[in-house]
Amino acid sequence: MAKVLFINPIVREEDVPRHIPYGIALLAAIAMKEGHLVQVYDANAWRLPISTITEVCQADDWDAICIGGLTTSYNYIKNACKLIRQAAPNATLIAGGGFLTSMPHEIFQWLPELDVGCIGESFVTFPEVLKQIDNGNHDFSSILGVIYRDSNAKAHLTNVRPNIHDLDTLPWPAWELFPLDIYFENSASLFSEESFTSKRRMDINGSFGCGLTCKYCWHLGTTGDMLIEPNENGDNDVVFTYGRNIRYHSADYIVNMVKHLHETYQIDFAAFIDENLMTMDVASKGTWLKELCEKWIEAGLQPTCRQQGIPHDENCRGVHWNGTSHAGLHRPETLKLMHQAGCTHLVYGLESFDPKILKNLGKGSNARKNFNSIATCLESGIKPIPNIIIGFPEESFTSVRNTITALKELGITAKPHFATPYPGSEWYYQYKHSILAQYNGDLEAYIMDLGDASKITAVISHEFSALQLLGLQQIVYLKDLRLLDQSEQHWGKAQTLTQPVAVPQDAFNLKPLRQAGPLAIPVVNVEPVAIK
Amino acid sequence: MSNLLKGNFTPKKQVQANTQESEDSSLQAEFKKAALNSIGGSMVYVERTDLTWSGDDE
Repeated sequence: MAKVLFINPIVREEDVPRHIPYGIALLAAIAMKEGHLVQVYDANAWRLPISTITEVCQADDWDAICIGGLTTSYNYIKNACKLIRQAAPNATLIAGGGFLTSMPHEIFQWLPELDVGCIGESFVTFPEVLKQIDNGNHDFSSILGVIYRDSNAKAHLTNVRPNIHDLDTLPWPAWELFPLDIYFENSASLFSEESFTSKRRMDINGSFGCGLTCKYCWHLGTTGDMLIEPNENGDNDVVFTYGRNIRYHSADYIVNMVKHLHETYQIDFAAFIDENLMTMDVASKGTWLKELCEKWIEAGLQPTCRQQGIPHDENCRGVHWNGTSHAGLHRPETLKLMHQAGCTHLVYGLESFDPKILKNLGKGSNARKNFNSIATCLESGIKPIPNIIIGFPEESFTSVRNTITALKELGITAKPHFATPYPGSEWYYQYKHSILAQYNGDLEAYIMDLGDASKITAVISHEFSALQLLGLQQIVYLKDLRLLDQSEQHWGKAQTLTQPVAVPQDAFNLKPLRQAGPLAIPVVNVEPVAIK
Repeated sequence: MSNLLKGNFTPKKQVQANTQESEDSSLQAEFKKAALNSIGGSMVYVERTDLTWSGDDE
């Protein structure tokens, strides 16, 4: 059996570690189930100097060292790969996750230390790669869903790996391989009284995918919207589409898992990291969340404060939870059930209150639904957490005014995220030329600059530059229409004299069609919500 | 001292976290983070510890 070392890179260095890496924990569980010898070094939890990588790589004779994460962990991964290769020259270095799948050719060019990478969903691909390594065979060209190097170090993608059909066949993540106490120290979050007082929070994932086609979003290529096709040079490359395969765990799988976490680790809070709970509920014709809530209560997980209808305090027992919602897809009766079962807050990506922006966004919502969603959610007893973005391609003084006006009426204070074209998103491909122009042609410099969209990086607004967006962000935060009017009077007419900051273009890697990627067993291909 | 590696077997070599070192460095890092999060008005942060020219460089 192969000796496998997983390294979880540091992400969001400016914040404390909050999330056990769900994907790595799942892959570690799968590797152990296949009989491999597995160790995990959770660099994100420990936050030690990067030189520690050398020590962990020399702790054993590793057959495979695996690293991966989101695009925003790229800086750490790049530095780690150099150290890994020096410290463990004989180990096969495997990459995976969002940072790789969104731009595999570029990553393999920038990180020559990588031997092989898993593209898209890795639940089947990864154990096949390990099996090959265990057999002493380093030719990965026959495995679906990988990027590998030929004898000349040129990178090649094999054909697309079909997504698994039944998520319940997955084992539970190997939480025991992570320093849980570090994560438990950071359990509290400022979204609700219940989450604020949480002492032992863990993340859970109930579903993969999302029926929406938001232009800023990329779902790690694991949700059925990814294809692999020959590009203009005849080399296989990733193509993202509007196709969607919607998959969710059964209520039994989720409730049994949370019950296990409650009994084993005494968790008091479960954070659903699903892309959007409501799109899953719509796909299930409104049965999924209802069943989940009923079984949550039946299993004894309902918090006592909800059971007894009393305010939450430190004596409350049970498991509170949170998730993501959608202004156009939530239903009052479902929200009430969710509150009854212990749901404390729901994140709503409202993004804007401007009709034109919302129409072009692919979100399937509009200004009226966004406005009404706050009251609907509040009425259920659940706290809405609305997210706002500034710097859309169509952003204008009018759109900012629409957003501020709604925020004032709804009593919401928000410091908006900046519209950011993350690799793999529709925006990224549409504005890749503009991004390159803003970073002197150095795409890697852009990737290394990316954070969590609270800082400004590449601008995709046609009208506003970074200078203006930084000011507008502050004006939205202050909800100050006087300052906005003044800024428009001073600058508005000059807009016609400036060059557009960003200009959209077509790209090979984005196919705006409802063509879904393959599933291991074909099921109903759900229509994207936003296109209906 | 905590073991940095967790897994389903015992590796040839244990890798321990040197908590003393990490605590020292994390105090600096923690202070920097807290200070940078409070920047505004009279709250500023000076990152450098030495700005005096030693005369060694051009």
